[in-house]
Amino acid sequence: MDHYLDGASIEDAVTLFRRRLCDSSSLDLLLPNASENYSKLRYLLSNTVTNTCNNSVLLLGPRGCGKSMVLERVMKELQHQHSDMISIVRLNGLLHSDDRCALKEIAKQLCLEHHLTFSKTASFDENSQFMIAMLRECALAHKAVIFVLDEFDLFAQGKQRVLYNLLDTMQSVLSQAAVVGISCRLDADQLLEKRVRSRFSHRKLLFSPPSTEDLQRLLEQALILPTDSTFPHVEYAARFNARLTDIIENKSFKDILSNVVNVDLSVRRLLDFLFRAVCDLDRDSGLLSLRNFRTAVSSIQRQPKLETLRDASVLELYLLVSMKRLESKDCDSYNFNAIMKEYMDLHNAHPTCDLYSRQICLRAFEHLLERQLIAFIDKRGQNIALEFRPVKLLVASHELNEGLKTSPVCPGP
Amino acid sequence: MAERDSAVHTPLPPLSYSNKQKSHKSSSARKSGPLTPEPLPSRGQVTKRLFFAGEEGGGKEGEKEKAAEDDLKTPLYESPPKKPKSHPSTDNENEEKSSGPKSKRVLDFASTTKSVRRSSRLQKPDEVEAPTSPLHNEPVKSSIRISAKKTTKKQPKSATITPARHKPSKKSHQRARRLKCVAQKTEHADRIKNKVTKKACKGFSKVVFDGVEFRVGDCVYVRRQDSSSDSDEADCEECQICSKVGKGIMVECDECLGGFHLSCLKPPLKQVPQDKWLCPYCERNEGNTIQRRRRRKTKKTAREKLLNSQLWAARIDRLWKEPGGSYRFTGRWFIIPEETTIGRQPHNLKRELFQTNHFDDNEMESILRHCYVKGPKEFEKCTEGDDVFLCEYEYDINWHAFKRLADADVDEESNRSLDSENDWNSSEDSGEDDFEDEEEDFQEKPVKAKSTAKTPCSQKSSLSVKAVNTYRGCIIGLEKIGTKKIPDRARCRRQTDLDRAKATLMLAASPGSLPCRNKEIDEITGFVMGALAAGSQCLGRCLYIHGVPGTGKTATVLTVMKKLRAKVDAKVIQPYRFVEINGLKLAQPENLYKVLYEALTGHRVSWKKALQFLNQRFSETKQTSKNDCQPCILLIDELDLLVTRNQSVLYNIFDWPTRAHSQLIVIGIANTMDLPEKLLPRIASRMGMQRLCFGPYSYQQLQEIISSRLNGIEAFEKQAVEFVSRKVAAVSGDARRALELCRRAAELAEFRVQQCSISLKTASNELNVSGGGTLKNLVGMADIEAAIHEMFQAPHIQQWFMRTLKQEHQRQHLKSLQPLFHSYAQIMESNALIGTHFFPLVVGLVLVGFYFVNQVLAIVCRNYN
Repeated sequence: MDHYLDGASIEDAVTLFRRRLCDSSSLDLLLPNASENYSKLRYLLSNTVTNTCNNSVLLLGPRGCGKSMVLERVMKELQHQHSDMISIVRLNGLLHSDDRCALKEIAKQLCLEHHLTFSKTASFDENSQFMIAMLRECALAHKAVIFVLDEFDLFAQGKQRVLYNLLDTMQSVLSQAAVVGISCRLDADQLLEKRVRSRFSHRKLLFSPPSTEDLQRLLEQALILPTDSTFPHVEYAARFNARLTDIIENKSFKDILSNVVNVDLSVRRLLDFLFRAVCDLDRDSGLLSLRNFRTAVSSIQRQPKLETLRDASVLELYLLVSMKRLESKDCDSYNFNAIMKEYMDLHNAHPTCDLYSRQICLRAFEHLLERQLIAFIDKRGQNIALEFRPVKLLVASHELNEGLKTSPVCPGP
Repeated sequence: MAERDSAVHTPLPPLSYSNKQKSHKSSSARKSGPLTPEPLPSRGQVTKRLFFAGEEGGGKEGEKEKAAEDDLKTPLYESPPKKPKSHPSTDNENEEKSSGPKSKRVLDFASTTKSVRRSSRLQKPDEVEAPTSPLHNEPVKSSIRISAKKTTKKQPKSATITPARHKPSKKSHQRARRLKCVAQKTEHADRIKNKVTKKACKGFSKVVFDGVEFRVGDCVYVRRQDSSSDSDEADCEECQICSKVGKGIMVECDECLGGFHLSCLKPPLKQVPQDKWLCPYCERNEGNTIQRRRRRKTKKTAREKLLNSQLWAARIDRLWKEPGGSYRFTGRWFIIPEETTIGRQPHNLKRELFQTNHFDDNEMESILRHCYVKGPKEFEKCTEGDDVFLCEYEYDINWHAFKRLADADVDEESNRSLDSENDWNSSEDSGEDDFEDEEEDFQEKPVKAKSTAKTPCSQKSSLSVKAVNTYRGCIIGLEKIGTKKIPDRARCRRQTDLDRAKATLMLAASPGSLPCRNKEIDEITGFVMGALAAGSQCLGRCLYIHGVPGTGKTATVLTVMKKLRAKVDAKVIQPYRFVEINGLKLAQPENLYKVLYEALTGHRVSWKKALQFLNQRFSETKQTSKNDCQPCILLIDELDLLVTRNQSVLYNIFDWPTRAHSQLIVIGIANTMDLPEKLLPRIASRMGMQRLCFGPYSYQQLQEIISSRLNGIEAFEKQAVEFVSRKVAAVSGDARRALELCRRAAELAEFRVQQCSISLKTASNELNVSGGGTLKNLVGMADIEAAIHEMFQAPHIQQWFMRTLKQEHQRQHLKSLQPLFHSYAQIMESNALIGTHFFPLVVGLVLVGFYFVNQVLAIVCRNYN
């Protein structure tokens, strides 16, 4: 063990990483146009709070690029700034896309916010009247109401009553409200009906997905140890950072990173990946290695089918392969008998010692059904014998190839 | 005593208020001790105590006990230093001082109406300058004398109106006067009694009292019982420097409200300053204004007294005569900022009052004279007179919360319909009781200025567990919402032209008039007037209005209705009902029956019942009550939403007008031009007779709309407005879109100006381009272009563009805004954006083609017709 290393410094570093990676608030604004959108949105909403400008704005962008994060931050700041002057109503398109339900939820949240009694039995009309009256009273008391509609595109179904009602009340003098829609559909505003669109104030904030460079910058920001006074172990930090830059420059690391990013671009995913890597940190040397990242990737991207294939017996693999062969022969529907025939053909062509009797094959077939590597095509014919029911393969061909390669029992070519 | 009083009151804001309450209780109890029949309180505990006080005969000890009790129960109020209210010596003092209260009252009034003091908030100096200056005080004095004489003569005459029991002796009069300020909180019982008798002797709309006319809705000073009598009241404000009255124009300090002669100031002012003005004392920040006052005089004007809480102000809500013969009024109190729980806030104006939700019945005797409480806009205009106050907020005394008073012109609509309805009802069926219980009726009456939710009674019900989002005639229980503190930003005015432009361009900002829709307004007015004039013979009057969104359909109809309402008020046309229903705000089409029936009768029933009743009502040949013969105008917005499978709702709506005596006039609004044709023929034949098309706005019209909104604000370049209107007219002709575009452009321009000023400050030499001509505060073409790009371009193109721009930006390490625009142009030119360049061109050509074809078609149609 080197002289600069002690348990404390590694422990400190790991704590620091964990804190950074779990509370991502310091990292989020590194996303592309997050800070720009943040200031725009804050300008819009604070205008609503202070100058009674009724605005409606859409935050558009693919998932995981910081839309909600920016909104939450703006809200937090505004609430801090003007405490007690803002009430927030949150709706989600997945939960409240139904008009009645949405209005009920609005009424409920407004009641909660202002400590009023809420009745579950109120009808749609009553709730909408209540909402209008409430908005008016809030405006008279200089209080702003901010409606946050998550999954905005789902509200744009059917008659769009909720949106119409909300946006129509924003037109009246006696209201002080803003509608913020969040959607991952870039054309969300085109989904609106024409009279709703006419009332919408067409503010759009675009969030672009982070590029690989952005993510790399973010990664560096997350993992580089500070060399100033905040982190006491300077020598260790310097060494750690040097090692990290080495890793980042490495070609295979870039492959790993792109492997992670290709699946999911979101920051959350990346941070999860880093967290796993940091958890694997070698406590002796105290340095990250490429192996850490590799294990992190494999633990993130688990492939259950491959693992099941690894456990399969030779006979089961034979059966799967014969099904695969049947499929490649454009045979759409097959049952155990067909598979059995194919298996026998296979054996006739390449005779090996792995020839089993029909009974044993049937057992193996049942086992495959149990493990859900294959399944019946339909639910019909419950009372037909097992051998005659048509089945289908649930393993893709490339997965089967992978599985055969990695399987310990598979006979070599 | 007055000095001491103010000294006591100002530091302890809530104190005076509780004092007020208590004085109400104790003395009202004394007055109506045995009379108070049952403790039906506006607020439970209060009356109970009151009742006790009555029993004990208002003894001092009992009072103190009660005070202690009060303090326990309402810990928000600090315990007040009790004044010996019923002490004989104070009575004597009062007696001495107010030897001739009635003549004095007239005198006060005369003096204040005539004397034009000065004005600080004076916006137009020419108004005051010439005529009033040195002379104005002389005639006032003479008039005082005269009026004083007159009133002494008139005394018997006014006594015919004043209750007889004030006459006999000075002492009894004095007692009456003491009683008058007493808030009768007990009065629920009383009120109901009054209400019952109201049918016999109605509330008056005006009462001439002591030769002064008081109307319902007037604001008055109300004497306070514990304050010293009004004999020490100054007629007129005197100059703070020379201590003389009259002699030239005076200017008011905005801080201490002291008056100063223009000529007494050093250096003398020539004119009354336009904006805020501080007197030399306040400017030097000499805090001890009390000292200055003491130096002056002992007399105080009514305004000073009010602001020192020696007087109260109230708005008369109702005037009536008691069976005993005394005239009484129900007043809604105003309070000064010191009396609120939060005390005076720094941004409260000196002349600011708050309207409370606190009502009391008092005798007319307690009224001192008129004062004038105005809304912010009127207050701004009203620059002279000492008795003018500003009231912008309502203060809820139960929740200690402020709420803005709704703007008059907005509130008017609903109130007036209520009022006129009431009038109509009362004049038509005086004998009939159309309300189930009397309390409800009572609540309706005094609260005209506000929604019914704010009477103490409804407050009580809100304290119970009833939910707020269920509808029982009105939504009650919302008075809790209100700021504990008025934010100071509400006071600050909009500074720059751009700010004001943004404010007027908002969709929520109500335009004063609707330009470019005169023809349609005329047509709708003609239709409605014709239908109303036809009276019971009007059969099948339906109007179908169609047009694309944002062309002012609903706004136009509402404007017409507003105008007609004014005509009804002027008794030009007969009253009618107006019911507005929006198809998209109904949960299901059938609910329309429910809403309509409720609007017509005030009862809530299920839609099936409502349909049945409505069918009955409209098909009946003989009307049951006279009330029903009011014609009803039904406006249905978003008519296409009411189409059901068998279209029965629409059929019913358009069938009722064709029945005899139904007196129903239907105006339907929808977007599609051919809605009647899509419907069943039997509906189409009923509704499609009269149609009105709101075409999309042309660019000239849009230009006019925008410039009428921006009237007097120098914020937009002329070409920019034209550019917006042409752009929008080419796409949709939607006024909302044009306004939003302009607003966004204004925001962008503001941002640009900010950036420029910052960059100019930091490095003026670096950016020589923006330093010169482009630093204008006007919204230009570039801003509009950017706004259009931002708001109406497809997001994926924008996203692509942003990414490219960013890369370019990073590559060149450009930092400032100006090169960014350069790179914008470069990208547009260099990159493969030829497609997007051509695209608008093609679309434009196609549009031009369409336009041309349209024009030709229109001409052909016209010729054909």
